Order: sequence, then structure tokens, then C-alpha cells
Amino acid sequence: MVNDRGQLYTIEGIAAALILLVTAYFVVNSTSVYTPGDTHISDMQLEVLGTDALAMMDTMPNTTVGKSPLRQIVEQDDASRFNTLFPKTINARTGGMQDDVQYTVNVTYVVPNTESSIGSFHLANSSRPFTGTEHAVRVSRWVLVEGGFPGCSATSCQGKHAALVEVLVWRD
Amino acid sequence: MARLNDDAQWIVLMGFIVSFSLFFLAILINQSTVVGQTTAEAVSEFPKNDIRGVRGALIESTLLDDESLFQNKTTVQDEIKILALSRQNAVVNISSVTIGEYTYTEIHYNNGVTGYNETYTYP
Repeated sequence: MVNDRGQLYTIEGIAAALILLVTAYFVVNSTSVYTPGDTHISDMQLEVLGTDALAMMDTMPNTTVGKSPLRQIVEQDDASRFNTLFPKTINARTGGMQDDVQYTVNVTYVVPNTESSIGSFHLANSSRPFTGTEHAVRVSRWVLVEGGFPGCSATSCQGKHAALVEVLVWRD
Repeated sequence: MARLNDDAQWIVLMGFIVSFSLFFLAILINQSTVVGQTTAEAVSEFPKNDIRGVRGALIESTLLDDESLFQNKTTVQDEIKILALSRQNAVVNISSVTIGEYTYTEIHYNNGVTGYNETYTYP
């Protein structure tokens, strides 16, 4: 005859072991998904930085009534002026060291005198070319410009036109 | 449980209670990471700057008019709609009505995930 006096302790042992195993599984499983939540923070910071830089370039100096520097740059396809103004803001840091943010700029517009044909041209880029493997964020700014698109003379597309300045910004 | 010694029932019960509380704590830790990730994704997917840009451009376009040769309001607004659809995957619409001395301009933005509607009163 087998003695059955330890049955309750056996059941308790098995239940406790199962609960501990499941708990350990949950804890180990949860820590591995921690990183994706945090990578967005630096992206968001870079996006705010780029948006603010474009907003500053699209602001006219206090004393003049006229076009903002960004509008003039788009109208005249002035890459060198963009390359002067944009890095000044985006690479500025407290203290002497400059930041190393890279960028490339495209302007998208509706081809004048067509219904909905989209055109775009490359406006400017930083010293390092965009290869496609960077982890870039996109910032954009709408401008209303007069002329200044490829195939657009003063008489062929009169008046104001909307254009979207898109900048890819990344840290290198 | 005939003839079984049941003196230790409280110990067994406490064992179960502690185990289950550990279990629920683990679930809480597990959920917190998911919550953090979905919140960050929602924040970065929310097209705050796109909406601001479209809104600013549309409001600026309402200050133009159609009468003069160099002020093509309708063209600019159509261009904004086309460009927003092609570059930002968003449907944009604008319509205005003037009642009395006020002009009410309705601005709509929808990219399938986020919708934004505003009535802008001018002056």
C-alpha cells in the first residue's frame, strides 16, 4: 500500500513551479522590445530642429517688407545661399563646437500651365551626399513663390505659385 | 482529505497569493513597454508639421485674390491640394463663405490616419 499523505505538497510544488516559469517567461520576453520606443526621441528632436531652421529662413527681417530668404532662394535656385543659411542654424550649438547635421533639399511644384503634373528639382545639399542608407527624417516648408521653376519664364507662368520645400536631415 | 494532516493550509494559500501577485507584476512590466512603444509611434506618426504647413499656406493663399494678373488665388490653392496629395499623401480641401463682414474659411486635412478640420474666421 502506497502512502498518499504528501499529495497536497506535490500539487503545490507543481503549481508554484509553473507560475514561476510563466513569470520568468513574461519578464524575459518583455525586456527585448524596449529599444524601438526610444529611437523615435532623437528623430523627433532632429525634426523639430529642421522645421525651426526652415521657419527661421522663411521669416523676413524686421525692418523690410518683402520676400523671406527661403522664397528668394527657391525663386533664384540659389544653392550657395541655402548652404550658408541652413547649416548656421541647424549646426549651431552652445559653445564652440559645431554639430554635424547633413541635409539634402528638393523643391516640388506643379508644372505651370498643366493641370496636375508634378515637377521637382534638387536645390542644395551638404558636403556629404545622400546615399540612401542614412536614417534621415523629412522636414518641409510651404512657400508661395513667383516663377523660378525650370521651364518657367516671367511671361509663361505669371503670378504666385505654391511650392513645397522638402529637406532630408540626418546626423552623420 | 481523510486522515491527511491539514495544518499547513495557510502556508499553501500564502504561496499561491505571492505567486499570483508576482505574475500580475510581470504582466504590468510587460504592458508598460508596449504602451511606451505605441505612444512613441503615435507621436511620431502624427503629422503635426504637415498640418501646420498646409494650414499656413492655405491661410496665406486666402489673402490673395483672383482679380489682378499676378495674384492667382485659385491656382495656388489647387496647387496646394495637388502637392499635398502627391507628397504628403493627404487630401486637402478649402472653401470659404462670407456672411456679413466675416469670411469663414473651412480647412480640411485628412491623410487616412489623422483628420484635421478648422474654420478660420477673417477678419
